[in-house]
Amino acid sequence: MTTLSASRENPPGGNPRAGNTAVPALLRGGRPLAGALLTILVLVAPLLGLNDYWARTVLLVAILSLQVSGLNIVLGHAGELAVGQVFLYAVGAYVTGYLGVSHGITDAGVIVVCAIACAVVVGLITGIPGLRLGGWSLAMLTFFLVLIIPNLVKVLESFTGGANGLAPPVPTLFGTPLGRDALYMLIVAVTAVWFLVARNLILSRHGNAFLVLKQSPVLAGSLGVSVFRLKLLVYVTGAIPACLAGVMFAWLDGFIAPETFTFTMALSILAASIVGGSTSIYGALAGAAIVQLGQQSFSSFQDWQLLIYGAFLLVAGILLADGLTGLVRGRARRIVRRFGVAAPAGRSAAPADAGPADLGALPGARLRTKALCKSFGGNQALREVTVEAEPGQVTALIGPNASGKTTLLNLVCGFYRPTSGTVELGGRELGGQRPYRIARAGIARTFQTPLIPSGMTTKAFVATGRYVSHRVRVPAAVLRLPAFRRGFAADDAEAVRLLGLLGIADVADREVDSLPLGTRRLVEVARALAARPAVFLFDEVGSGLDEGDLAGLERAIRMIRDAGGTVVLVEHNFPLVLGLADRIHVLSQGGLLVSGTPAEIQADPRVLAEYTGSNAAGKTIGSEG
Amino acid sequence: MTTIWAGLATGALYSLVAIGYNVVLLASGVVNFANAYLIMIGTFLAYVCLVDWGLPVAAAIPLTGLAVAVIAVVEERIAIRPLLNRQGGHAALITTVGVGTLLGGIAAKVWGTEPVRVPSPFSAEPLTLLGGTIQRNDLVLILLVLALGVGLHLWSRRTLLGLASLATAENRQAAQARGLNVRALGLGAFALAGLIAGLFAVFVAGRTYAHFHLGETLALFGFVAIAIGGSGSQLGGLIGGFAIGLLYAVTARYVGDSYPQIVVFAVFLLILLTRPRGLFGGAAERQV
Repeated sequence: MTTLSASRENPPGGNPRAGNTAVPALLRGGRPLAGALLTILVLVAPLLGLNDYWARTVLLVAILSLQVSGLNIVLGHAGELAVGQVFLYAVGAYVTGYLGVSHGITDAGVIVVCAIACAVVVGLITGIPGLRLGGWSLAMLTFFLVLIIPNLVKVLESFTGGANGLAPPVPTLFGTPLGRDALYMLIVAVTAVWFLVARNLILSRHGNAFLVLKQSPVLAGSLGVSVFRLKLLVYVTGAIPACLAGVMFAWLDGFIAPETFTFTMALSILAASIVGGSTSIYGALAGAAIVQLGQQSFSSFQDWQLLIYGAFLLVAGILLADGLTGLVRGRARRIVRRFGVAAPAGRSAAPADAGPADLGALPGARLRTKALCKSFGGNQALREVTVEAEPGQVTALIGPNASGKTTLLNLVCGFYRPTSGTVELGGRELGGQRPYRIARAGIARTFQTPLIPSGMTTKAFVATGRYVSHRVRVPAAVLRLPAFRRGFAADDAEAVRLLGLLGIADVADREVDSLPLGTRRLVEVARALAARPAVFLFDEVGSGLDEGDLAGLERAIRMIRDAGGTVVLVEHNFPLVLGLADRIHVLSQGGLLVSGTPAEIQADPRVLAEYTGSNAAGKTIGSEG
Repeated sequence: MTTIWAGLATGALYSLVAIGYNVVLLASGVVNFANAYLIMIGTFLAYVCLVDWGLPVAAAIPLTGLAVAVIAVVEERIAIRPLLNRQGGHAALITTVGVGTLLGGIAAKVWGTEPVRVPSPFSAEPLTLLGGTIQRNDLVLILLVLALGVGLHLWSRRTLLGLASLATAENRQAAQARGLNVRALGLGAFALAGLIAGLFAVFVAGRTYAHFHLGETLALFGFVAIAIGGSGSQLGGLIGGFAIGLLYAVTARYVGDSYPQIVVFAVFLLILLTRPRGLFGGAAERQV
């Protein structure tokens, strides 16, 4: 399965860059060429003497692979199980039949456009309700779609021909009816174009955003990505190939009856997706070929298919929950980590001589909470907390465990809704808004446990911070327009530059999830910087860092402050806080204990009592948590 | 009134599936798609007990119940347990669909693809009740499902084991930290769901026959019942199931045979759109 999955860091447009995976750059540069050659070979195969049986097999594989690709996009990239491809397949087929039989429209181009429009409509109607909760709701909703096909066909008998079926006429292109070979080429060409579109979409920043979305909706939200809208985009995109498959099935068979569109077909698509690897682009072709050939080659397949698919889904679900790719990647990661752990020590000198660092102006904004309260049931996690963070200053939030620091952060970021009180950014009320809106308003954060997705390089991960602020639209990515190339190059350059500022430019091309904890924290800081927000929320960003990393972090925070940004530091590392903060707020048991300058806080007896209950000076406080 | 009785009887099936879903959902946080397929297998096993072996009903019911409970426990061990330590993903979705398909395939292979009539423990003479007619079997089915749903609802709120199960559904780690054996709870929930499916299979078969395709429809309609009732709410699922049954029967009677499934699907969309947590469910807050 590993060999089937496309490498995510394929260069856009073929300019080979230094890579991180096992595929040598040379081979990767040659890949698009090999793909094109293979496509042409399949395309002209009938002229080279491909017989009817195999020509039909090729087309059936192509048609099935389109359906599988539709599932892969949703399952592999949005992480949602949607099995409604059969329904869309039926929609495509019946649209073709209806246009041909009732209106005499046979032009392939017109039919394809109509089918895509129908796919989008069906995608929106089912996706909007289904994706509100996602997970089981969407899976069941799409299963249900398959179940109601026979009923819908019957109810819409005047359009669908009911149980008698429909016989769409031979398709035409520019007025010429398509013969057997021409139809073959058309179907192969449409399939090839779809896979090119899918590849271009997935091997772009959008693909990286899908990965984040799948692995951590929380992170996606704090990048300013609306989880719901992006999932809907993926879901609707996945509806298109399935619908096209139906169109081509109608052309190929010249007859449509409701018995074709069954629950079992939905299972075969799911099985093919898992065989080929749901996250891989071309895996759909391999999976479809295996399932199609299996169905054709064994005469008793019909009798056994439920058992085969069932056993297959069970085994695959257990073994491949992370995919075979995941197994291999896990092993590779362990090897990398052995080197990775040693790396930071050698780097520690880097921040000092990293040259004149320039962040440009980062206009901050005043962040302010007023009488903010949060209770979970009867438990008051936060009581009437009023704090401020000024632009161009570092504001620290300290307090023992369970004092409400992270709750406060989650309220600011919109992960919780305030029970009462307000959160204001530069005078604008934010309380109760969704996380992605708050992120777009200019608040970026890092996480106590860094949220690091797997399957992308460090610089690609840092660039996700720019996904919303420096957006390249989907059509530009699919068509590989100059805007896309410029955006991609600019993202990379900025990511490498920011990693350099933090003194970790050397990890730019490494898999981001292979990095040790300390480096992950710095990478998160770089990711936050990439969005160029007004406010930075750093949640225990200093814990787990060694001396060298800590120096890089301190330097970066000072830089942000000097550039004018608002920094909020939630920290247990007391010396770090004393050294950096302009103002410190101490939380205790959900309430604000005291606010002041580092000197005032250090001298405050209540703070000492809260932390240690003893008379020692504040130098050993940082160790807990 | 006959239509209403028919609706309630059909609704009892959906409620039964919803109850099975909820039992497992509460303890493991997993929707067991195969639950309806367990009922399907139960109907065939009841057939084996009653017809092939000629056992009396009093022996066939507990035997079927135990057999299906064993199947459910096996399912938990192979399809759910290996996934519990993994974060995220919808692996359980795929494995339980796999188990359901497998059970369907086994049924088709062993007992064929034609519906099989399972002898009912009650006479086929219909009853006239409140101005409508109803089969004795169906009336018993409705009453038993009602009793089961209400009983489980009270049990989950009033007993320590029920509360433990609720706590596990709420937060697995926290429940574990409190010393609850969440694994045993999960296994127990599957056994209970299987037992229920098996015990009721005779009465289900009395209404539907035994058929290998029975699982798909039941699985989906049972889920719609949960969507209406709010996941984890036994009472909600019970009401949701009966509501869909009534809707189904009324639509079939007054609109046409092809419409009930479409109408139920439309209601499902509407619920997800307007009240995604169900009519009886509360809002859950996300956490970092």
